Amino acid sequence: MYAEKTADEWSNLLIKVGLERDREAFTLLFRHYAPLLKGFLMKGSNIGHEQAEELAQEAMIKVWRKADSFNRQKSSASTWIYTIARNCRIDWIRREVRRQRDIHADDLYEPGGENPSQVSLVQLRNKRTIRASIETLPQEQIEVISKIYFEGKTHSEVSEELSLPLGTVKSRIRLALKRLNVQLDAEAEEA
Amino acid sequence: MLVTKHPNSDLLIDYASGALSPGLCVSVSSHLHFCALCRDKNEELSSLGGNLLETAAPAELNASALDDVLGRLDEIQPPRPFTQRTLPDDEAKLPELVKNLLPDDGLKWKFLSPALRVARLAVGESRYELALHKIKAGGKTPAHDHNGLEITVVLQGSFSDADGIYHEGDFLIREPGDVHRPTASQNNPCICLSVSESPIKLVGPIKRLLNPLFSVTPQ
Repeated sequence: MYAEKTADEWSNLLIKVGLERDREAFTLLFRHYAPLLKGFLMKGSNIGHEQAEELAQEAMIKVWRKADSFNRQKSSASTWIYTIARNCRIDWIRREVRRQRDIHADDLYEPGGENPSQVSLVQLRNKRTIRASIETLPQEQIEVISKIYFEGKTHSEVSEELSLPLGTVKSRIRLALKRLNVQLDAEAEEA
Repeated sequence: MLVTKHPNSDLLIDYASGALSPGLCVSVSSHLHFCALCRDKNEELSSLGGNLLETAAPAELNASALDDVLGRLDEIQPPRPFTQRTLPDDEAKLPELVKNLLPDDGLKWKFLSPALRVARLAVGESRYELALHKIKAGGKTPAHDHNGLEITVVLQGSFSDADGIYHEGDFLIREPGDVHRPTASQNNPCICLSVSESPIKLVGPIKRLLNPLFSVTPQ
């Protein structure tokens, strides 16, 4: 076993992989993140043990290939790896469930990276804020947040599955995000 | 120019959690290309994903997983099909993300009205149609209503309708019953990305002539 590392140390390892193709750094990242990825993916009721294993490995290979595009000013290592796993899951669902393999999620998402962030305060706060664990939320909020983040369901899919009005789903999500200290209240006029 | 029209938080949440269908995903990505404010919101929502990952209960991998993965790191990636095609000036200025979705043999602009052309983008979408619309400088498009949801993101130039003027990055949602007649600004043509759910209804005298051309054909 090895001592638990801080968020900054994980970012350092990721940068080492990107710049120096360092296999030892990658191995440390793998030992830490691959089991978390598998556990995270298995929380979605739509993904079984075997698929979660396969996806966790696939995500780690992508971590190796894309590490040079990791930007520590923008994201933490965990957030960046989460987006990689999310895209692997999207591709898996399209490939296995819908039999479509024509386009990859990586081509549909804004690549970020080169585009500067406007509100550097958000980043600073992100680094310092320790978020309350999802386990501290009321059960009904855990349920919607899990369906959204672990299963990649839309608001309307969640509302159908739980037989709840869409408005109820939305308000549970808003309450949960507020309690988890996710800031969405910047003054923006919505379309 | 500051972006003033943004996707709502529901869309941003579904984007960060990976739930949007390809066409909707591209519309939000195109907005993020222009909008630092929403990029920050997306980062915030993704960081919740990062926290959920960090705090997930670890699940042990197969004993050989690390060796298997290390053995695959040097696999040669098939190179991305890349055609060195020279794009017309206006297309060359599109966001990188949109350029990567252009067909290899070039966009096929179709005539919709004297001021308006449309070219479809294929992203394996079944429910929504994703397309680029080009309005010539000062051009007025036919007034139309919507049978379903229609999202428009201004990618180049600007246009106006009865409700206001929209600039690069602005993200607009129209719902059934919203009749509008977009007009491009005088100086420049306007290119928009649009995602529409079902055929657009033309209203006004030329509708019989043009309506079939607006029909949406999801692939």
